[in-house]
Amino acid sequence: MGVVCVFACPVPEGKSGQQVVDGLQKQVEMMGATKSGNFLVDCETYQSNPQNVTQTPQQCVVNILHNSEHPASCFSVTESGQILVSDLLFEDLMSKLTMAKAGRESFYSQRKGFKIESRGQRYEVGDFIIKIGSVSLASNFRGILIEVEYCPCVILNECWNMMKELLQSMVGNSAETPPPVLKHKPDTVYTPSDTILQYLDHFNNFRKAVSAPPPSR
Amino acid sequence: MDPSIVQQTFKAAPLTTEFFLQGSVMENSLETLVNRLKGLCDNADYQQESFQDHEMVFHIKNTSVPTPLVFRVRHSLVQTECWSLRYLGHAEVGDKNRPTLVRSYIDCPTSENVAQFIGELGFRMDHEFVVKGFYFHKGRMKITVSKFYKMNQPGNTTNDTIETVCPSYLVELSVVTSSGQEAVGDDMKNFAEQLKPLVTLEKTDHRKIQLAQT
Repeated sequence: MGVVCVFACPVPEGKSGQQVVDGLQKQVEMMGATKSGNFLVDCETYQSNPQNVTQTPQQCVVNILHNSEHPASCFSVTESGQILVSDLLFEDLMSKLTMAKAGRESFYSQRKGFKIESRGQRYEVGDFIIKIGSVSLASNFRGILIEVEYCPCVILNECWNMMKELLQSMVGNSAETPPPVLKHKPDTVYTPSDTILQYLDHFNNFRKAVSAPPPSR
Repeated sequence: MDPSIVQQTFKAAPLTTEFFLQGSVMENSLETLVNRLKGLCDNADYQQESFQDHEMVFHIKNTSVPTPLVFRVRHSLVQTECWSLRYLGHAEVGDKNRPTLVRSYIDCPTSENVAQFIGELGFRMDHEFVVKGFYFHKGRMKITVSKFYKMNQPGNTTNDTIETVCPSYLVELSVVTSSGQEAVGDDMKNFAEQLKPLVTLEKTDHRKIQLAQT
C-alpha cells in the first residue's frame, strides 16, 4: 500500500471513451507496464427514511463503496466525510436497516439509479500500479478515471512531484496539483480510506454532471 | 488470489446464524467450572483466555412502529484496536426437538470510529456495560463464562467506576454458522451434558424474561 492519486481523464470532442481508454492502455504498455488483472471500484448510495426519529431533520445519506484492491473490506462514507472501514458483513447490517418489516417502514432505502462504478484494466510498471477505469452510472458511460499508486511511499509530499510527472503524461494539466481530498493532509500517512474518498469525490462529480448528455462510448 | 473470488467467498456463505445454550453459575463455583472446561476444550495446556469488553447498545427508531432496531458496538478494553458492530436477533426457541436456541447474529469488525459513524446514521445510545470473563473453544463451539458490570459514569470503564450487576456468571455455549446447519445442535447438546451438574445449559425462553420485566 503506497500513495494513490485518482484523476479524471478528459474525453476530447470527436473521440469516444473507448478510443481514449485504448489510447491510454497503449501509452501505458509502451512504458513497459504489464497487465495484472482487472479492477473495480463501485459505490451504492442509501438515504434515510424521513420517518426516522433523529436529532436533526436533514436526510442522512450514506455511500457504500468497495475496492477490488481490498476485496474483504467495505467502506462506508457519510455526508460529513466520516468513513467506516469494515468487513463485508457490514452489508448484512445495512440490509437490516433497509429491510421493511410488517407494519414498519425501512430506516434506509437504496437510491435508485445512483449505482456508479469504475472498472478496467490494472497494470504494474516498476514501483507503480496504474489503473485505467471506465466510469458507468446506472450502466451509462460517464467518463474515465486514472488511478496511479506509488507503492514504496506513504507520504504524499515525498512523492508528489514524481507522481505528477507520470500523471500529467496521461491526464494533462488537471494533475497540476494534488487531488482536493489530499490537499489538506500532504504529510500524513496515506491510507486506503483516502483512495475511497478520492473515488467518491469523482463519483459525486459524475453524478452532478448527469444532466449533461454523456460523452459517446 | 483473484479479488472477485475473495469477495464471492465472503458473500457465498455468510456466518450469520448463532445456535446457543445458556446457563449460570455462582461465583463460588467458577473455579471448578473453569477447570472442567480447561480439561474438555482445546489448548488445555495453555492459560485460559480472558476478555474484558465494553459494549454500547444503540437504537434507531421510526415513527411508524415503536420497536427500535438495535445495533451493538463492542470493543476490547485489552486490545483497544479491536472494535466490532453487532446485531443480535430475537432468540427462537423453536420446537422441542431442536436442542438449542437460534438467533440471527452478525458480528462485523470495523474501524475505531464506529460509534460516531452510526451516530451520524441516526442511532442513539440506549445503555452500555462492561463484561469480563473467560472463553474456551472446542472445535467450532465457543464457551464463554462472563460477569456483567454496570457503569456508574457514562463512558468510564475503569474498575473504580463499575459495579457488578449480580454475583453470578453467565455461561454461554454457542456456534456461529450459516443458516440451516441444524446438526450442530446435537454436538452442542452432547457437550452440554458433560458440564452437568456443574452448570445446566438449556434453552431459556427470552420472551418469559422480557414479559417478567414489563
